Amino acid sequence: MAFASTVCRAAVGVTAPAVNVETHLANGLPAFNIVGLPEKAVQESRDRVRSALINSGFEFPARRITVNLAPADLPKQGSRFDLAIAVGILIASGQLPEHAAEGYELIGELSLAGALRPVNGILPMALATRARDAGLILPAENLDEATLVNGIALYPAAHLLAVTGHLSRQQPLQAAAGGAC
Amino acid sequence: MMGPPGSGKSMLASRLPGILPPLTEEEALQSAAVRSVAGLSFDVAEWQRRPFRAPHHTASGAALVGGGGQPRPGEISLAHNGVLFLDELPEFDKRVLEVLREPMETGRILISRAARQAEFPADFQLVAAMNPCPCGYANDAARACAGCSRELAARYQRRISGPLRDRIDIQIEVPGLPRQDLLDGMQRKAEDSACVRARVLAAWQRQLTRQGGANARLQQDDMTRHCALPAAGQQLLAGAIDKLGLSARALHRILRVARTIADLDASTGIEPHHLSEAIGYRRLDRA
Repeated sequence: MAFASTVCRAAVGVTAPAVNVETHLANGLPAFNIVGLPEKAVQESRDRVRSALINSGFEFPARRITVNLAPADLPKQGSRFDLAIAVGILIASGQLPEHAAEGYELIGELSLAGALRPVNGILPMALATRARDAGLILPAENLDEATLVNGIALYPAAHLLAVTGHLSRQQPLQAAAGGAC
Repeated sequence: MMGPPGSGKSMLASRLPGILPPLTEEEALQSAAVRSVAGLSFDVAEWQRRPFRAPHHTASGAALVGGGGQPRPGEISLAHNGVLFLDELPEFDKRVLEVLREPMETGRILISRAARQAEFPADFQLVAAMNPCPCGYANDAARACAGCSRELAARYQRRISGPLRDRIDIQIEVPGLPRQDLLDGMQRKAEDSACVRARVLAAWQRQLTRQGGANARLQQDDMTRHCALPAAGQQLLAGAIDKLGLSARALHRILRVARTIADLDASTGIEPHHLSEAIGYRRLDRA
């Protein structure tokens, strides 16, 4: 299957509406486009995701990649979509199982080497994730902030490889329960 | 708070979060969420402390209420459920101060830009400090004012507009201490924040059991029930309205303050002396 859908979250005030990250690999000249009102940092996510995938030992598909951030009329900003886009590409290209990311929300910025970097506004996202009863995969450095939320399953990861290991069920991440304080 | 330099205004304000009742978990989450969106780091160990924000007087309107192309929370939202302290109040840009008016009433701020809107919570307690005149020593017993005319001092105080003053419940003077008190104070240990906090907590508990929320949140219906006045109090209030020309809002605010004073006194009803103390706190209305 050349299509995948993962879930991330945008920021509007102190709310964090869900954003579906849809990835489609089509035939044609190799290209990588992001649609759905991405602002500068989201556009630049293309370069981070490409390097992070290659440097983590994955194959970056030489196909026509379209990423849609839905709802398409909500402006998206920041680097928090990196991880959801990278995992979307891995699923669409068959490098991860088809339903690997179901029941999870993915948040985090990627470094070129594939390490996960912290993002702003984790707390509203964690609150919204809890309301949907999903697991939250987040950068390890954001864990402290997210544990303020009670009754949520948190999966802190330091690297893209840790996330893919978890999603392919090969090396599950240590779950941290919220409400530690 | 109005008083000469060095009389302890800023010190008093910074101690305020220490005596306030603790945040409930939900309130703490709201405050932490604003911090999180603003990208400020916070210490997880201290997340249930009430926030205290003291922006410098060069702050712009957008810095105070929030703004930007991608709306970000301002100081009033960062002070949500806590204290916003504006030191040197007259030095703030006049227009900047006026933006505080609506959020002070509603407890939230809607930031509207051409591209998008965002709403942030902004339920804060405003504390402000100022000098009585540009040199700082008008009406001071120990030190002569350096030639500020009455007119100049009045103009300085008028930088705080009427509508803003009307929204300040407690307006007090913080005079400089005479020499003897200063020297005595070095030997004697004054009451510390923990003792005061115990009193505040007791009053807070009384409010919660009576109406399930703070006195500041009392609405019209509840006020008629919980802030009933004895006959002497009614008279006192009538006199104050005539003399000070109080607005409806000021009246309600006085009643809420009087209710709080009565709570601190562990009294079930508002007695006349509670009311007169509350009226006495609206000092600037008289000026």
